Amino acid sequence: MTRAEAVRLVAALAQCEIAMVRRDPVAGPLLAQAARAAEGLSPGPLVAAAARMARLIGGDAPPEAAAAGRKVAQALCRAAVQEAQAVLLGEDGPR
Amino acid sequence: MSGRLWGEDPGLLAPLGAPTDELAALERDLVDGLGLPETELWDAHAHLGRDADGHALTADGLLADLDRFGFAGAVCFPANEPGADGQFADANRRVREAAAASGGRLVPFCRLDPGMPWDGELAAAREAGVRGLKLHPIAQRFRPPDAAALVRAATDLGWPVLIHAGYGARPLAGPIQTLLARAPGARLILAHGARGDARAVVERLGDRDDVLFDTSLAALPDLVGIRPERLCLGADRPYGEHATALQLVALAARVAGWDADQLRGVLGGNLLRWLA
Repeated sequence: MTRAEAVRLVAALAQCEIAMVRRDPVAGPLLAQAARAAEGLSPGPLVAAAARMARLIGGDAPPEAAAAGRKVAQALCRAAVQEAQAVLLGEDGPR
Repeated sequence: MSGRLWGEDPGLLAPLGAPTDELAALERDLVDGLGLPETELWDAHAHLGRDADGHALTADGLLADLDRFGFAGAVCFPANEPGADGQFADANRRVREAAAASGGRLVPFCRLDPGMPWDGELAAAREAGVRGLKLHPIAQRFRPPDAAALVRAATDLGWPVLIHAGYGARPLAGPIQTLLARAPGARLILAHGARGDARAVVERLGDRDDVLFDTSLAALPDLVGIRPERLCLGADRPYGEHATALQLVALAARVAGWDADQLRGVLGGNLLRWLA
């Protein structure tokens, strides 16, 4: 992951995080966009899974299940953000 | 690993059609790749009970989480459920009972509202062997200096005091400095790496021996600017979970260049010294 790719991903996922916390329906589209930004990068599978979870909770899911799904998506995003931030802070990756 | 996935019950995820096998593999890969040293893992930050916002965790659930990720134990305290008395009496009692039944793995902290009468609940906690105090200035709506009398009382008992310092926190550096000045000898654990006001807090309080920062749901850029001797691992169950909590500390260690002893301190040793 280059620093430019990491910046793009961290910025996208920050938007996703706030949208998920606020249970804003824009979270799904934002996560889909973040997943495209992460495609082929090491956090890509994490963000792709988060985007999939966001789609699953978007319908008529029972409230408890939707809440659990949202928390899983948040945790997946957290893992991806932390990995991208580590690149920006100097761990691994080309500059 | 079995049990929860990314902190959540697979039984709740199944009705969504969630790809549980894939989620389990992602979590396993994340943790397996961290390269953490063998050491006694302790979690400085876990809530038990049911919060007003719906988050919930039982003692059995927390112990299962600790087992799954190889933790020796955790500091635990009530969620935001102050109850009819407004002073967390029932919630604190349940935490004490859970701790007493845990064989020493759950270390109980008492949660109190400094804006309410607290003498009786503090005495009950002391009698029951509680080991620390938890304060939440946002949920209980107070400024840190306004808790000075309660923090002095906790300090007289030899307790550390864990204070929420994450999202929603107002400016913290000055108020925490004032609190420390009004409660001499107090030892404060600032939760979430003080991410609510991290730059100012670390600049003004980062070198003090009477301040620890827990890493629960903290930000990596904040943690790498804090000396590892001043950090202790936390997960903030049930808001956070242990996989990304461990990942955060592992990444901070690599970025900041901590040696193995420093990392072991963050993973448990620093907290245990404060609980002794």
